[in-house]
Amino acid sequence: MISTKNITFQYPKGELFHMPDLYCTAGSTILITGNSGRGKTTYLHILAGLLRPKSGEIEIDSTNIVSLSERKNDAFRGKNIGVVFQKPYFIASLSILENLEMTSWLATGKKDSATAKKLLNQLGLSEHISKLPSQLSVGQQQRVSIARALINEPKVLLADEPTSSLDDKNAEIVIDLLTSLSREYKAALIIVTHDSRIKEKFHNQITMI
Amino acid sequence: MIAKLAWRNIWFKPLNTILSIILLMSSVAIITVLILLEKQFEEKFNSNIDGVDLVMGAQGSPLQLILSSVYQVDAPTGNISYDSAKVWMKNPFVEKAIPLAFGDNYRGYKILGTTPDYLKKYGAKISNGKIFENNFEVVVGNDIAKKLNINVGDTFFGSHGDAAEGEVHENESYKVVGIAEKTGKVVDNLIVCNIPSVWQMHGSHEEHNHEQVGENPKHGEEGHVHDDHEADLTIDEPGMEITAVLLKFRNKMGIVTWPRIIAQNTKMQVASPAIEVNRLFKLFGIGINALQYLAYGIMLISGISIFIALFNTLKERKFEFALLRVSGAGRFKLLSLVMIESLLLCIVGYIFGTILGRIALLLLSNSAEDDFKMSFNPYDFIWDKEGILFLLTIFVGIIAALIPAIKAYNLNISKTLANG
Repeated sequence: MISTKNITFQYPKGELFHMPDLYCTAGSTILITGNSGRGKTTYLHILAGLLRPKSGEIEIDSTNIVSLSERKNDAFRGKNIGVVFQKPYFIASLSILENLEMTSWLATGKKDSATAKKLLNQLGLSEHISKLPSQLSVGQQQRVSIARALINEPKVLLADEPTSSLDDKNAEIVIDLLTSLSREYKAALIIVTHDSRIKEKFHNQITMI
Repeated sequence: MIAKLAWRNIWFKPLNTILSIILLMSSVAIITVLILLEKQFEEKFNSNIDGVDLVMGAQGSPLQLILSSVYQVDAPTGNISYDSAKVWMKNPFVEKAIPLAFGDNYRGYKILGTTPDYLKKYGAKISNGKIFENNFEVVVGNDIAKKLNINVGDTFFGSHGDAAEGEVHENESYKVVGIAEKTGKVVDNLIVCNIPSVWQMHGSHEEHNHEQVGENPKHGEEGHVHDDHEADLTIDEPGMEITAVLLKFRNKMGIVTWPRIIAQNTKMQVASPAIEVNRLFKLFGIGINALQYLAYGIMLISGISIFIALFNTLKERKFEFALLRVSGAGRFKLLSLVMIESLLLCIVGYIFGTILGRIALLLLSNSAEDDFKMSFNPYDFIWDKEGILFLLTIFVGIIAALIPAIKAYNLNISKTLANG
C-alpha cells in the first residue's frame, strides 16, 4: 500500500505544484487523470522516487521514501516499485527473458528465471522469451513491460499512460492485465492517464487541475 | 550480470566493436612484435659477442667484418696472412685467439675452419660423437643436423663459397664425426672443421696464394685443380691465409689501443663487435622508433574510435540507462557498465593483438631463418614490457570511456523518461 501527504514539488525556477494526497491499498487501483501539463507524470516520478519532492511524505509499506538517501532509494525502488511506461523501454541487446532476469537481479541480486517465465506465460508471451524486444509488436512489448514491472512482486505498480500508444484491443488487454495481475500480486496500482478508454472503467479517480 | 550486459552490448553493435578491436589489435600486435624482436635481436647479437673483444681481419667495413666473422651473415672482407696474424695472436695481451677460415658450404650452411676453441667459446659441447681432429672431419651444428638429418659417420661434398649453387668440390668429402649441442647461437647453423681442411680443399698453397690475391670470395671458377695425392696440410703450413681472428684480451688496454696500432702497422684491421653492434642497433633503432610511434598513433585512434562509439550510442541508450536506474541500479552501476564495455573491447583487442603479434613474429622468424639463419621465439613472454603495454591499453580504455561513463552517471532519469 502507498499513501502520500502534502506533497509539493517545484522545478528549478518553475511554478510550485501541490500534489493531491492519495491512499491506495494492496490490490486496489487509483487513476490519476487530468490534462497535459498538470504534473501527472511528475507526480508519478515523485511516487517512484525518481524525483524528490520539495516537501511532504510518501509512505510505501511504512517506509517514507522521501527521507531515503539516493542509493537506498534506488535499491528500494528496485525491490518495491514496478513501473510501466508510456513507451515500452527495453535493454535492446538482451532477450525478453534476459530483460526480466536483469530486472530481478538488479533488485535482489538473483536471477529469478522461474517467476519471469511464469509471468511471461500468464501474459501469453511464452513463445517469445528468447526474442529480442525489437522483434515484438508494440502490444506485446507493453505486456512484457507489465511482466517486468511485476517480476519483483512490488508493493506498488505505477503505470504512466500505459495505453496511449496502443489500439483499442491492445489497450483493453493491457488494462485488464494490469488490474488482474496487480490484484494477484497484491500491488497497489496507480495509473496516470488521460485516456478516456480507461477512465470509464475505474471509479477511484484523482483529477489533477 | 553487468559484465554480461556489457559484453552483450558491445556485440549488439558489431561493426563499431570490430572496428575498435581491429585498431587496438593492430597497434598491440605491432608493439608486441617490436618488443619481442628488439629483445631477442639484442639477446642474439649480444650472446654471440660474449668473449670476443676484438675481431681481426682484412681491411674494409668494420661492420662487415663483424657481421661476417661473428654472425656469419655477410660476405667476409677478404683474407689475411695467417703468418702475420700469428704474430699478433701470440701477443701477451691476448688471452685467447681463435682463427677462422671460411671455406665452402653444404646446402647453404657454412663450413667454417677453426680450432676446437671456437666451439668451446660458444659453449657448444659435442652431444654425439667427438670433436674434429683430422682434416676433413667436421662437427655439425645442432640445427643443421636436425634439419638435414645428418648423423655421425655421414659424408658429404661441399660447394664452393657461400652459395648453395657453388661449384661442388668432389675430390674430397667431409666426414661427420660429431654433432654439437643446441646453443641458441650461430654455431647451431655452422659446420665446423679444422683450418687445414679448408686450405687443402682449395688446393696447394702455391696456387691458392696465386689466385687468392685480392679476390678471395670470388675465386674458384677455374684453376681449381686439386691434387689428391697431396699430403695432408697442417696448421703450421707457412704462407697460408685465413679470414679473421676472434680475440679475447687479458689486458683491456689492448682493446683500446689495438685498432690504431694494427691499422698503422699492418694491412689488417681490428673491429670491436660491441661498438659495431651498437651502431647497428642505432640504425635499427630509428626504424623501430618510427614503427613504435605508428603503433601508438593507431592506439590513439582506437581510443578515439571507442570514445566515439560509446558517445554516439549514449543518446539511444539513455532510455536503457534510465530503465536500469528505475529497476534499482545505482548511478555507479551505470558508470561501471560503460567502463566495462570499453575495457572489454580493450582486453579483447589486447589478447588478439598479442596473438596476432606472435603469429607475425613466427612468419618473420621463418623468413629470417631462411635468409639469415636467425630465428625468433614467438612464445617468449616479456612480462614487464608486455605488462606495461597491457596497462597502457587499459588506460586507453578508461580514458575513452571517461566522458560517456560520467554522462551515464549523471543522467537525469526523470527528465529522460518524461521527454521520451
